[in-house]
Amino acid sequence: MKIGRIPPKVFFLLMAAVFVLVALLSMSWGQIDIPFKNIVALFCQYAGLPFFADVVVTPEQEAVLFHIRLPRTLVGLMVGAGLGASGTVMQGIFSNPLADPGIIGVSSGAAVGAVAAIAFGLSEVSLFALPICALVGSLAAVTLTVFLAMRHGKIPMMTLLLSGVVVGMMLGAVTAGILTVISEQKLQQYLFWTIGGLDYRRWEHVAMGAGPILLGAAVMILMARHLNILVLGDVEAKAVGMPVAKYRLGMMTIASLVTATGVCISGNIGFVGLVVPHMMRLIVGPDHRLLLPASLLAGGAFLVFCDTVGRVIAAPMEVRVGIMTAFIGTPYFLWLLRRAHNVMR
Amino acid sequence: MNEIVLQAEKLAAGYGRHKNVLSDVSFEVRRGEMVGLIGPNGAGKSTLLKTLRGILDPRAGSVLLNGRDAATMTSREFALEVAYLQQNVEIAFGYSVREIVTTGRYPHLEWWEKEGPADERIVDACMEYTGVRDLAHRSVDMISGGQRQRVLLAKVLAQQTPLLFLDEPATGLDIFYQEEIFRFCRELCAQGKTVLMVIHELSLAAKFCSRLMLVGDHRIVADGKPEEVMTSEYLSRCYGVPVRVVRNPLTGTAEVFAEPPPDDGQRAALLHAILGNGEDEK
Repeated sequence: MKIGRIPPKVFFLLMAAVFVLVALLSMSWGQIDIPFKNIVALFCQYAGLPFFADVVVTPEQEAVLFHIRLPRTLVGLMVGAGLGASGTVMQGIFSNPLADPGIIGVSSGAAVGAVAAIAFGLSEVSLFALPICALVGSLAAVTLTVFLAMRHGKIPMMTLLLSGVVVGMMLGAVTAGILTVISEQKLQQYLFWTIGGLDYRRWEHVAMGAGPILLGAAVMILMARHLNILVLGDVEAKAVGMPVAKYRLGMMTIASLVTATGVCISGNIGFVGLVVPHMMRLIVGPDHRLLLPASLLAGGAFLVFCDTVGRVIAAPMEVRVGIMTAFIGTPYFLWLLRRAHNVMR
Repeated sequence: MNEIVLQAEKLAAGYGRHKNVLSDVSFEVRRGEMVGLIGPNGAGKSTLLKTLRGILDPRAGSVLLNGRDAATMTSREFALEVAYLQQNVEIAFGYSVREIVTTGRYPHLEWWEKEGPADERIVDACMEYTGVRDLAHRSVDMISGGQRQRVLLAKVLAQQTPLLFLDEPATGLDIFYQEEIFRFCRELCAQGKTVLMVIHELSLAAKFCSRLMLVGDHRIVADGKPEEVMTSEYLSRCYGVPVRVVRNPLTGTAEVFAEPPPDDGQRAALLHAILGNGEDEK
């Protein structure tokens, strides 16, 4: 724990409250406003709880809540939490606050998968085609990156970083190549995908993401103590008895899988994986046993908050969440950095 | 005589495709010894320590810990036998002193376990012993070099290993803090721990160590009690400069001086050029 910070218990209570509040806000605001009371009442009725029985909820509200807002909010919470947690893990593995899963090729691989799915018309065949292609693309890219960096069963971090950059460039060229030959309409579709969004997310998306993201997050939190050791670097970790390569590869795989799942169900959403862990580190300190759960909660809350604001700020138009995260996150992040700097002096 | 805890057998070590830094190194270390590895820069002291600790794979030969081949041990078993303090540790993200010392408990825990009250007590005791308990919640980025080395020493102690390998634990510290680190080590050795350390300060090495190994020319040149190793002959040969060893009558320990090389007359000309009062200047 850092000194002069909020005690962890208080902080986590606060975070949980913010998490729930943001979720409620997201379900409440939009083209049709649904009061908090009605949302809670609906949940109670579904769960068979004898509260708020007197509140009248219109069928329209019910339909909007269950078919549009709830899946959208759940996808947002999951993807945000996943991006926050895997960003934390990657920054830990690389001992570098500027790392995110993008640097080992996750997003560039997903882009190739997505553009391929669009180019070959697969995305029109099934709702699942694009996400699955994106997932396969990103996992293939990560595998290639790791394979290129591997030397005698060891993965030197600098080599990994460089091979990530190279793979990213190469895949970027592939994507660009495909883009130059596809139709205007498909181009539009790809462009739309690259700016990540949570609009039209349905229960299918929730189902797709829930498994890998929840499981991945659980494993990451379980391994938080080991991450604390890994952060100290190869030699230090080995000196206290960690089989470094095994743990590093394992953690990296999980972080990539979670990010890839997030990217494939909601498009590329930058900023969350990079900045949320950094923000949380300034607040709760570098111990991953606190940092990971904090990034998880904050990532989910932050993404859904950005989405909600994007929905109402220029109604009836929607600003996609990939744009909002940068607009809301940047000033806050700069403020945090300046403050941290002042504290250090 | 105490039992043998560490054995190197015909050890060869080096990096990448380069030729061996060390070859055919064999020695035995007994429990309770405080062994100082000395030798000129680049002679391979750190390489030897890294190879013994398994950070670097040996190119040939083997390391035995309590008679057991280190190559057959898991990372964790190794870490329960030997703690290692590396040179210039870089710590990212501003961990607190306490968090760093706690990492020493890592090999004692199963992967699912978290530190219990017993671990906390050990961590506290180690911080207390090296005098950094007051700093427990400070970030390691924000303490002085001397405090930092004592924190790292506490971390190594928290590992509770019979052997300690320390790579220049006192370099860069004020002389008083240097002596303090050495005193800690001597006290630990008296209690049955075995310490192997790389040392640059020859006088301190002679004063505190029970045994010195002089590394040079890809091998161990001399190995024995400080007074046997710290001779003008050995040191001059190894360091490549004339070295004189003098016994200080006050402290009874050896002190080392380098004699200036004989002047061949070129130095004056060089100095002249460096200082910029050349004749051909306008």
